[in-house]
Amino acid sequence: MSKNSIIFLLSIFIGFNFSACSSKNIPSPQKDQIVHIEDDDFDDFEEEMEVKEIYDPFEGYNRVMTNFNDNLYEHFFKPVNKGYVAITSTDVRVSIGNFFRNLYFPMRFFNNILQGKFHYAFEETGRFVVNSTAGCLGFFDPAKSEMKLMPHNEDFGQTLGFYGIGPGPHVVIPLFGPSNMRDAISFFPDAAVSPIDYKDRDWPTLTKTWAELIAVKSVEKFNEVSLYSNQYEEIRKDAVDLYPYLRDLYEQKRAKEIEE
Amino acid sequence: MIMRRVFVKILFIVSILGFFSNVVANEQDDLKTHFLEELSDIIKIIENKKLSKDERNVKIVNELTPMFDFKLMAKLSLGKKEWMSLSEEKRQKFVALYVERMKNSYSSKIDSYENEKITVTDVKRKKSRILLATEIATAEKNLKVVYKFYKPKKRKKDKDAWLIYDVEIIGISILKADKAQFKEFLRTKTIEDLMEALAKKKTS
Repeated sequence: MSKNSIIFLLSIFIGFNFSACSSKNIPSPQKDQIVHIEDDDFDDFEEEMEVKEIYDPFEGYNRVMTNFNDNLYEHFFKPVNKGYVAITSTDVRVSIGNFFRNLYFPMRFFNNILQGKFHYAFEETGRFVVNSTAGCLGFFDPAKSEMKLMPHNEDFGQTLGFYGIGPGPHVVIPLFGPSNMRDAISFFPDAAVSPIDYKDRDWPTLTKTWAELIAVKSVEKFNEVSLYSNQYEEIRKDAVDLYPYLRDLYEQKRAKEIEE
Repeated sequence: MIMRRVFVKILFIVSILGFFSNVVANEQDDLKTHFLEELSDIIKIIENKKLSKDERNVKIVNELTPMFDFKLMAKLSLGKKEWMSLSEEKRQKFVALYVERMKNSYSSKIDSYENEKITVTDVKRKKSRILLATEIATAEKNLKVVYKFYKPKKRKKDKDAWLIYDVEIIGISILKADKAQFKEFLRTKTIEDLMEALAKKKTS
């Protein structure tokens, strides 16, 4: 190679390296420059930050029900939860949560299949087998901690969303909180494959009568409250107006879950 | 001679391409390294039992401030139309209240931190943004938190080169959530009412 071309290449490298260094030490801009730049921030973000209008014809009812649920939390679940947390350790509560989650395996299995996510359905099956046996009836989660089998939560609402069905009007459900028409209707097909329900099935179910079902569901609910009460209180603190805030959080979360 | 020229040209192109891909990759790696350093500093502050809760939170917020563009977040949470209609005085007041609220919100989230392990799972570049995905391993399940960075055209005073403008927690953008609730609030009430509500939140 000629001497000239070597010098040429070297000079390019040196030139680039200088420009790279200088971009790391950009001097702080003058004050008047700061004001000027900030004026055009918006257009860059406007599209990304666009907030979708949520269809909400039942707003009046929803507000009342949000208030009801919030009061129920404040005056019933919160004090009961205090007692529950005092007598159980976090480990116990997490284990109870695991137990219920493991039981809902059929729901996740069928909905993964319905969405054509066969490898996830397969992984969920692996989790169910491992956690039901080595995990002592699902109280522990060795599938995740030991075998790196990850959960893939799917419910019928997500399946409907996957096939392009919109959320419909937002509905706040007593005790359960924010939901929408699509997800509320989806409770039924998901309950139909739930092994907790007492209805006549070809396979064994956890409960035999509706009284037992309510008892089991209550344990599940109290345990859930104990695991998520901190999160709920954080949300309450961040809200200027609780109802629309919860509504938006729910719809954003569901949209994301369906997208995945 | 011709061969040599071709060879030099190829070398030249390859070296430029190689260099550019390095610069791009470096920016992401640098950001990740910087983020992890900040994180370990913050965890050190949390683990320092000598500090009172308030001292600790002030320290942490000071540590975080150069990483976040709180002012931009405040503006975006109102939306362009609303922001443009405000007087300079009101803008400043709103930004101050919003920043205060953000800091309080972070402090209270730190209070509930219990040595959960935080890992960076992915660093993605999308045009002029970098998305840094992390996972917080709680006892119950893994929480996905994505920090969204942008790079201002000119570096802002006392700020990092790449700044966080939004945080996504389990798929929920906190900025979008704020924008939605402020929009809803302003449908029936005024910006003064909103500022009053934010100020009230601060004390409660």
